[in-house]
Formats: sequence, structure tokens, C-alpha cells
Amino acid sequence: MLKNRLATVLIWLSAALICAVFVCLLADMLRNGLPRLSWSFLSQAPSDAGRAGGIAPIIVSTGLIVLVAVSAAAPLSLATAILLSEFSSPNSRFCQVIERSLEVLAGVPSIVFGLFGNAFFCIYLGLGFSILSGGLTLACMALPIMINTATVGLRSAPDDYRLCAAALGMSRGAALLHLLLPAAAPAIIAGLMLGIARAGAETAALIFTSGYVDRMPDTLMDSGRALSVHIYDLAMNVAGGDANAYASALVLVVLLLIINSLASSLTQHWLRNRIMTS
Amino acid sequence: MKKAISVAVLSLLILALGYFANRSNLSGSEAANPAASSTEKLVLTGSSTVAPLAAEIGKRFESRHPKVRIDVQTGGSSRGVNDARSGLADIGMASRALKPDEAELRGFTIALDGISIILNAANPLTTLDKQQIIDIFTGNITNWNELGGHDAPITVVNKAEGRSTLELFLHYFDLKNTDIKAQVVIGDNQQGIKTVAGNPDAIGYVSVGAAEYEAGHAVAIKLLPLDGIEASVENVRNSRFPLSRPLNLVTKTEPGGVAKAFIDFAGSAEVNDLIEAQYFVPVAH
Repeated sequence: MLKNRLATVLIWLSAALICAVFVCLLADMLRNGLPRLSWSFLSQAPSDAGRAGGIAPIIVSTGLIVLVAVSAAAPLSLATAILLSEFSSPNSRFCQVIERSLEVLAGVPSIVFGLFGNAFFCIYLGLGFSILSGGLTLACMALPIMINTATVGLRSAPDDYRLCAAALGMSRGAALLHLLLPAAAPAIIAGLMLGIARAGAETAALIFTSGYVDRMPDTLMDSGRALSVHIYDLAMNVAGGDANAYASALVLVVLLLIINSLASSLTQHWLRNRIMTS
Repeated sequence: MKKAISVAVLSLLILALGYFANRSNLSGSEAANPAASSTEKLVLTGSSTVAPLAAEIGKRFESRHPKVRIDVQTGGSSRGVNDARSGLADIGMASRALKPDEAELRGFTIALDGISIILNAANPLTTLDKQQIIDIFTGNITNWNELGGHDAPITVVNKAEGRSTLELFLHYFDLKNTDIKAQVVIGDNQQGIKTVAGNPDAIGYVSVGAAEYEAGHAVAIKLLPLDGIEASVENVRNSRFPLSRPLNLVTKTEPGGVAKAFIDFAGSAEVNDLIEAQYFVPVAH
């Protein structure tokens, strides 16, 4: 009995500890960042190395980088996941080679992706320091997570679906579109959100690819500073930049929360409707 | 309704991407036809210490030359030197003097950076030698009375990991960061100055420019001489002060055109206020 009590207390304590870490983090950011946050902070360009002014160009750059990353990674990862789960046997050599290489890719530190992106996209493909280079590098980083979660989601759809669809004479494509993808939607969304979160919070991979320029980007070929790079620079490199670093961090957290909830509700409704109407 | 919203949001995203992609195509075709646009881009890479300063100078340069764009990238001094050498960057940035094996490159000093030991103004001590400073920072001396001061424990204020000031300080005194027994670890110069100004028993080290400015504005700190050389912007400028380094722009060959114009501008008195705003010391003109 006493043992049970003790276990209960310990479990509650660890849960409380996790919450405390989150609350402390958020409170620290709110306390230091909120006083700096204002409309002009969101709408102005930075000045005096980021100590003064706002972060408008940096928010735009971050949004574009994430947009490029998601629009490159999402179709690729969905297609790969469909191939792995629907059109090849999990025990085949082909499948195992792909899955093994994805595992390796998922374990590669982000700075290595940054160096790869710099060497391949910036220099070899001649894209230079640009939002495109940064977005594509992040797409490479987000691919393993997105593919793995989507594959697991598709594989966990019951085989009955596939058998019923075949018995009804549905093509494999139609079965995929109307039954399996909606069934796997939560996993696909989770993968997408993890990918976005990883992309949006990335510093090391971006500082050598999308770069350091804090001007408002005109095109995808311009160098644009991401929020995380800006925070890193203000906190570690610019004397007196801490207050704006906190405010920028707050913006980044809120932005990621908004993107995540938007993506989740969008995809959920989009795919739910389909399984109900069909 | 929800479907309509999702369709609207999605198409908006696609439009936004298309807009920027299209503009990049446009500018691409313009670049292929130099007569259509004469925008010139200058790429600087290198030292993260110089980067914020170079970016500010770049902004002012752009405002005077609307057809020029200055793109500043970081990555460290060695990267700046390598990129300048390989031609990846038009101009490299290095927060140190060029090494002997880099002699084939051209270096242009745009500013100087010095580091001074600071004490609270109430501390009676006016000078410490190199060994005493090492003993204080490594914890061998923990009370000011061992050095002839008040009977009070010493508060050692150290810089946080990753600060270039810390690296320069450690290099000069030949210490490792793990050797230092610090009571307070701080981030930037202003924080160091405020910590020492608010604690009569504190010792710290900060950028000379910032410290001299604050000491001259009635903040309760004083700058200690190093090796008998007074810590002042003047002595950093005439390079007598031992704990200092030049901030350099580096090019592979003798610069011409826009690169020359930018380097000349960065070395001119017109950017002195920008240099001082980053707590560096302008070079003598």
C-alpha cells in the first residue's frame, strides 16, 4: 500500500516537474520578452545590429523558408511513404535499404545538414546564400521524420480496408485516396507538424544556407535571416541584444504554435470530410 | 465553411510562393541582361564579431548607393579568410590580424577591439600585475586583503562561453575557461559593467570602448592598466595596449569597383559612430 502511494507520488512529481520546466521557460520568456513586444517591433526592420527596431523582414524570411521546406518535403515524403507502405513489402531488401538510410539521415546533426546544404545548394547548384537554399536544406532535414510517421500511419491502417476496397472493385489509387490516406491522416499531420517545428526552430542548418542578411527579401534567391538565427545572434553575438532576443523568441514560439494548430485543423478537416462523404 | 477556409488559406500560400518565385525569375532574367538592371551585389563572409558592424556599415552604404546590395554572412574569421581566398566572397571579415601564411591577401583594418580589466570605483587598488590577475581568476587569491585592499571576498565576473571577449582574455592570460573560478557569469559588456558597478568587491573584464564610455559617464567602475599600459581607446588606437586585436576586411587581390568603394567607406570617418555603437574603436584617420 505504501509502495503504491510512493509510486503515485513519484509519478505525480515527475509530471509536475515537466510542467514546471515548461512554465519556467514560458514565464522567463514572457517576463523578458513581453515588454519589448509591440506592433512596431513586428512591423519594423531591425537597426543597430538588432538592438533597436523590429523583426519584420526576419518574420517574412522565416515564413518563406518554412514554406519552401514544407512544399518541397511534403509531397516527396508522402510519395515515399505510399511507396514504402502500399507498393512494397516491408521485408523486401529495397524497403529495408530505404528505411535504414532514413534512420541514418534522421540521426545526422543539423550542423552537418547546414554544411551539406552550403556545399550542395549554395555552391554546387549555385543558389548562393538564399531562402531557397535554406528551405531545401530544411526539407532534407525534415524528410526522415515526415516519411517515417506517414509510413507508420499508413501501415497501421487495417488490412480490412484494402481487402474491402479490392472486393468492391476500387482501384488501388482510389482506395488510397479515399480510405487509407484519411485513415492515416493523424500520423501524416503529426509528421508534418514535427517537420515544421524542426524546420522553424533550426539555427545551425540555416546560418550557412539562408544566411545572415536581415533585409526584407525580394525574391527566394535573396539571403534572409531566420528567427532562430536572429535570436542566436542577438543572444550570443550582439552586446545589449538580450531584450530583443527574448521578444524574438516569444514571437517564434507563438508563430510555431499558430502554424501547428493551423496545419493540424486544416488537414484534419480536409481529410475527415473526405472519409465521411465517400 | 471550413472547407472554404482551408481552400482559401492553401491558395493564399500557393499564391505567396508563386509571387516570390516569380520575382526571382524576373530578377534572374534581369541578371542575365545587365543592361536592364545594374544592381551590384557584394558578399561579405567571416567573423561573427565583425558581422553586425559590417551589416550596419552595409546598410548605410546601401542608402548612399541605391544600386548596390551588401550581403553579410557569418561563419568565423577562418571562413572569412578562406572565402576571400577562394573567391566565394568578395570580401572576407577577420577579427584578428592576418597570419604569416595569409600574407598574399590584402587586409584593411576598419576598427580595433580592446579588453580591459575593470574594478569598482570604490576599490582602493589601482593596479594589478598579470600573475595577480591570473591568481584572482583561478581562485588562488580570494580576498582583496591579500593584495593590500579591503578585507572582503573577491567577486570574479567571467564572460559566458562563446563570447569572443572571453577567448581573447583566456588567450592573453594563457588560461582555460575550466580554470576560472567565477562567482558571476555574464553575457554582454553592459551586463559586466553593471555587475562591477553594483558590487564594490567585483572584478571583471569588458570591451575598452564600452568601459571608457561608462566610466566617463559617472558609472562606478575604473579601468586597470595592463602591463603598465593605461586601458584607453587612445592606447588601443595606437596599438600600445597589449590586449587588443584589429577587425579586418580581407580581399584576395587589390580591390576595385564597388568593393574598393565599400572598403574605403568602411575605413572612413563617416562610419565612426557605427563603430562606436558596436563598442569598437575607430582607427586613426
